[in-house]
Amino acid sequence: MSGKHGHKPFEGHMHDYEAHIKAVEEDLEYYRAKRFEPRIFYLLRRNVVTFSDLLKARVALKRKNQFFKPRKPEGKNIEARVRYLEEWLDEYVKGIALVSARAVEAMDMVTEDNRKERGDYDDFFKIKKKEHYGTLQERMVNLEQDLADYQEMLEVFVQALIKRGWSTREELEQRWKQLHEERPWAGGVIVAKAWIDPEFKEALLTTGREALREMGVHQGKVGKLVVVENTDKVHNLIVCTLCSCYPYDILGDTPWWYKHESYRTNIVKNPRACAKEMFQLELPVNKEVQVWDSTSDVRYFVLPQRPAGTEGMSEEELAKLVTVDSLLGAGYALEPSQQREAEKSGATPEAPRVRPD
Amino acid sequence: MEPNSKYKIGDAVMVAMENPTGNPRTPKYIRGKRGVIGSVHGILENIRDHRGIHKPLYTVKFDLSEVSTCHDQDTIWVDVHEEWLSEVRDDEKN
Repeated sequence: MSGKHGHKPFEGHMHDYEAHIKAVEEDLEYYRAKRFEPRIFYLLRRNVVTFSDLLKARVALKRKNQFFKPRKPEGKNIEARVRYLEEWLDEYVKGIALVSARAVEAMDMVTEDNRKERGDYDDFFKIKKKEHYGTLQERMVNLEQDLADYQEMLEVFVQALIKRGWSTREELEQRWKQLHEERPWAGGVIVAKAWIDPEFKEALLTTGREALREMGVHQGKVGKLVVVENTDKVHNLIVCTLCSCYPYDILGDTPWWYKHESYRTNIVKNPRACAKEMFQLELPVNKEVQVWDSTSDVRYFVLPQRPAGTEGMSEEELAKLVTVDSLLGAGYALEPSQQREAEKSGATPEAPRVRPD
Repeated sequence: MEPNSKYKIGDAVMVAMENPTGNPRTPKYIRGKRGVIGSVHGILENIRDHRGIHKPLYTVKFDLSEVSTCHDQDTIWVDVHEEWLSEVRDDEKN
């Protein structure tokens, strides 16, 4: 994230290395099993690339021809290493976007194909995710190895695509640059405006994406957008039990827990118990819990309730109270004192990265 | 009301057990369950996601106790395409 949202990632101190490492583990397996491998399988099955293309590309690979540059941690302390893993993961995710964009276009692949290839609708085809064990140190070493291995596969795949004439190095470099452009995260400003402008709120709840256009925020284009409002009587939670549909074009990268199987299974079985266990959120008995199970055609987010003690605050100040979790019903917007406390101790949650369409 | 959509808000519907057409996007836990139409989205074009045009889409509201063994008075709202739904007649309602 650039500094546009008011803070940079990794500024201040990381408080919970364990949580950071868990998020990297979850995300890395998610992107390997849900994005990269299904697309490789898709292209192998259709003879766009072959296994022998990949083997030959690996043998022919020279350090100076490598597309992805090797990475090094900036320092030996644990925080530097965690940061290094997080940034490496981010490059891996961008790398997948890079290679699959070209290959997918070549084959006219749509998202639905990808879901079938990875077994969302059929357990037989489900790609197994790796499980993680050990001490924090051991898990970090394992993650480094996994990242190196997965990155190598990606590299070989790039080389094979070029060799087969699906893309050129120049085209990929151009795209690689575009992939490093980011938009500011708009979750906070959307909610803040809805809190202070009843007309906008009404438009947001009834017209979704249309309201964002009027506001001048990037609208996105992934399906229809529906915003559901938390009130004194209703608490909403968002899930996609089949895969992990998410309004990423507006809210940026999906939080790892949203993609996690335990959330996707349990939130529709026993919402209150799940919210309590996963988010330490005790939902009041006098509120009805409504869980929204999204399908790809409609993407949802929650308009959280405006916290007490925020009268007279500016739109900009209000925007800082809005967390990603509160936009999914996994939490409440922060109270001003909580936000000040977090800022003082350097524990302000990072705004998600919003990638270009 | 959306043109081309068979159901309207408040209609009682039942979800099919088996996939009627090959459009797989209906989670297992609501199959064979009863719900009520909560919103009508009509036909949504989503060319990046799937080929062709699906039937009209609805958000169907289920009582939690209909789809789970949990008895909290909460609700689950699920997006379902029209071919998965059938009408529940008055005499079949509980």
